[in-house]
Parts: sequence; C-alpha cells; structure tokens
Amino acid sequence: MSISNETLKAMIRDYNGLELSDDELELVRPELDYYLDELKKLDALDLSDAFSSRLLRFPE
Amino acid sequence: MPNVELLQMTISEMAPKIQNKEVSPVELTEAALAAADKLQPTINSFIKILHDKAMDQAREAEADISRGNYRGPLHGIPIGLKDNLATAGITTTLGSKVLADHVPEEDAEVVKRCRDAGAIFIGKENLEEFAAGATSNNPHYGAVRNPWGLDHIPGGSSGGGGANVAAGVTFASLGTDLGGSVRLPGTFCGVVGLKQSFGRVSQRGLMVTSFNGDHIGPMTRSVADSALVLQVLAGNDPLDPSSVPVPVPDYSAYLGKSLHGLKMGVPSNYYFEMLDAEVEEAVRRSIAALEELGAEMVEVSLPAMEYIGALRISAMADGIVTHEQFLKSNREDYGPDVLYRTIPGQFVLGRDYSKSLKVQRIIQEEYAQVMQQVDFLITPTAPVAAPRIDAKYITMNGEEHRVRGPGSSLISRCTSPFNATGLPAISVPCGVTKSGLPIGMQVISRPFEEGLMFQVADCYEKVSPSQGLRPAAFVGA
Repeated sequence: MSISNETLKAMIRDYNGLELSDDELELVRPELDYYLDELKKLDALDLSDAFSSRLLRFPE
Repeated sequence: MPNVELLQMTISEMAPKIQNKEVSPVELTEAALAAADKLQPTINSFIKILHDKAMDQAREAEADISRGNYRGPLHGIPIGLKDNLATAGITTTLGSKVLADHVPEEDAEVVKRCRDAGAIFIGKENLEEFAAGATSNNPHYGAVRNPWGLDHIPGGSSGGGGANVAAGVTFASLGTDLGGSVRLPGTFCGVVGLKQSFGRVSQRGLMVTSFNGDHIGPMTRSVADSALVLQVLAGNDPLDPSSVPVPVPDYSAYLGKSLHGLKMGVPSNYYFEMLDAEVEEAVRRSIAALEELGAEMVEVSLPAMEYIGALRISAMADGIVTHEQFLKSNREDYGPDVLYRTIPGQFVLGRDYSKSLKVQRIIQEEYAQVMQQVDFLITPTAPVAAPRIDAKYITMNGEEHRVRGPGSSLISRCTSPFNATGLPAISVPCGVTKSGLPIGMQVISRPFEEGLMFQVADCYEKVSPSQGLRPAAFVGA
C-alpha cells in the first residue's frame, strides 16, 4: 500500500498542512511506509469490541 | 582520598561519608566540575555546565550539613539533568535550536524534589534534538560519545546523562523515557536505567512531549542508587493528573532479599526474535543466573506483540501536534532527522489513530494477564550493542534497519512496549561484547511494584559479569 505524492499534496492543501516539496516528500516516505505497513497488519484484527488505551492505574 | 576516587563511588557509598562529614560537598562538587570540564571535549555530554550555580548549591549543602540538617542520601551529591527538564532561570534547550534561548520560570517537579533533597546540579545534559530519537547525535550541539567506545552512540535520547554516569562525572542523571530513552543509554553505557510505573513520578515540567507514555527516570551506577533516586522522585503531584496518589514504599528495603519462590517470565516470542547473537547469549546467561539465584523460569507468550508497531501511528499523530507551532514558526531550525520523522504525522487519519490506541489497550490487557502468571519478566534492553555514530543502518535477520530518523524503530523495539503498557522496567548491565561494548537486560514487574523489580535487579547485579568493569573514558583513567 502506498499514498501518491498527488494525494499527499492534496491533503496538505485541503487540510492546511505543512508544505512539503517533492524532494521532501521522498524524505518523509520511510516514515509513511512504516505507518502504512503497520496499518496493513491490522487488517485481520477486529477492533470493534476493544477498549481504547488508558495506562494501567493502581486500584484507587 | 584523591578527588578522582570520590567520583568513582556510588551514591550508596558516598552518602554516609557526606553525612559523617568525611567528604565535603564543596570538595566533591569541585571534583565533579573538574571532571566535567576535562571530559566534555571527549564525550560532549553537556549542553551547559553549571559551574557557579553548582558551587553555590554545594556551599549551601555543606553549611546545612554542618548545622546538623542532613536531608538524606542525595544531599551534597552531584547529579546531571537532561536538558528537556525545566530549570528555573537556566536555559532549557531540549537539544534544539528552536528553544536555544528558552529560560523557564519554574523548575520541573522532579528538579524541585531533587533540589529539596539537597542534590547538586552539575549541568544540563546533551540529548537527541527534542528527545526524539535513540542516538543522541545532536545536529546543533554535537554528538554525545559513548565512554566505552568513543566512535559509538551512548544511546538516546538521554545520551548525555548515560555518558556522564558511566564516565563518573555525575553520580546520577535524570533522563526522560518515551520509548526507551533512559534504558537505552543505560544499556549502551553500561549503567542502570530506570523507567518506573507510569504515574509514579510527576511529568510536570518535562517539555515538548507526548502525554502517552513519557516518564522521567534516573541513570545510576548501581541498582541501589536507582532505588535511592526513585525514593526522592516518587509520589503524587496534585498538579499533574497523570501522577497517581498511591503510597511510596521504602525501596531500599527490598534490596538483598532472596529470589526463592519468585516466578520469572521469559517471553517466547518477539523479544528474542530480532537480536544480535552476543546480546542473546548474554541475556540467556543472565536468565540462567537468575534461576541459580532461586527464581523459577516460566515461558510466557505475548501474541498481541505482532501488532506493537501500530503504536507508532498514535505517536506520529501526537508528535505533529506537539511540534506544530514550532514547525510553523521555526521549521528551518530543525535538524532533518527530527523534521522528516515528525512532519509525516500530519497524514495520520483519525481512524488509524483510534486503531492505534485500541491496539495499545489490547497489549496492555495481554501484559496484565501475563503478569498474573509471573512475578517479573526478563527481556533484552536493546537488540544490539551501541552502533557506531556514523552508522545509518543495522543489518538484522538479513534486513537493513535505519538507526535514526524517518522509519527507524529497531533500537527501541524491546523498550517501547513498556512505555505503552506503563509497566516499570529497569535495565541492568549483563556483560560486554567481544569488542568491549556493554549489554543490558530488562527486569519488568507489575504496576507500582518497583520494589520487587529492584529486588530482582539488585540480586542479579551482584553476580553480573559487568561487575567491576569500567569504560575507557572514566574519571581518573
């Protein structure tokens, strides 16, 4: 899975994001790839019944 | 006793000498400042050395003690502070150019507690830019060098503190740990690195961070010293909603206790799957040593760790929100590693952020179940010993992994799960590689059971092959 530079530029434009040149888009690509790879692993995981996180607390 | 020998001691050894007036805090602080000045060109561990303020504190400590007002084991002890901890009236740069001239008006809560305990602040310590990485190769203040191998990283982001404690410049240094940033300098610099339970220590005054899993903890030269420092830091802070109002036990009371009857969990998956052979051998030997000390080994399975990488998604989103204002006003002042690792957070969808937090919960629940089966866990602290400063990639299991910047995650893979779960974890030295670089293992216990964690770590430390080893760049060497 990948996101095209055109889509990223549209997101920046439409969501008032931080501008990135074509060269800079290549520099952020490894982090984006990591995000998408990890997301892909969740495809088979049903999260509908999972609670959201809260760090463990001692019984109060 | 020559001054340099004083600096080679631990807090536990030094504190009684200060209390009994055998050692003067002024003399000790002069020695620590001299060591800091001498080693700074070699290890680059400080952003600012606090010569005058440290001496003022030392004279005050000496006067207090001479009047009979001894405050406890940190009184008169020179320590270091990572430069992302707010210090009133002292620049706090976060290792950034953006905040190079920032002077907080108030101390962080942990700084206040250490000040009240009589500790002496030698300096503000070098770190990864904005504490956002595991190397401490700072683009603005220079790379911190590992006292065990000057061409190697000390780990990060609290690298200056790890280097200072290892080299004997400070007796303890306070670092911050969002994914391993205290424990990684611990393992790479051959010292003890502590990340206590989330909520045990106030985060107030820790600057530019994510709310989700950052911790302030000490690096020390012994487990006993770690317990002494946590004793000072621990406790509820009514002004920090993330701190928890639970009693703080006497941590030192757990030291020296037997491990007989305790169950030691060793994960059968994840932690030993991507590991340098020398690190694995050292940690396996430590597990055997703990069995000989009386712990019963139990293999435990953590299948949800398959999804641990998804936690980076929420961290990306938190990161962009944390930095957004600075990026709008001072983008040109960022180094490329942090800049291009932070900006992609703007592309994270809300749906995926929510998924990430749910995965975090699933992992938390899994650890909670496992910790009902065992009393503590053992894992490696890092999958490798300290990489070279100029290394861009590490090859592991036939794949190249980035050491820093966008897409990097290998170094912190064994530490970051305990930021996500909030469980207390301590890194203890457990040997060195053939090339003489330190290796560490982690002891993890149940939430707010740091006492038991210290008990295990202290018991192991006494038989660790790291006992008595010192780095090449050490005071007096």
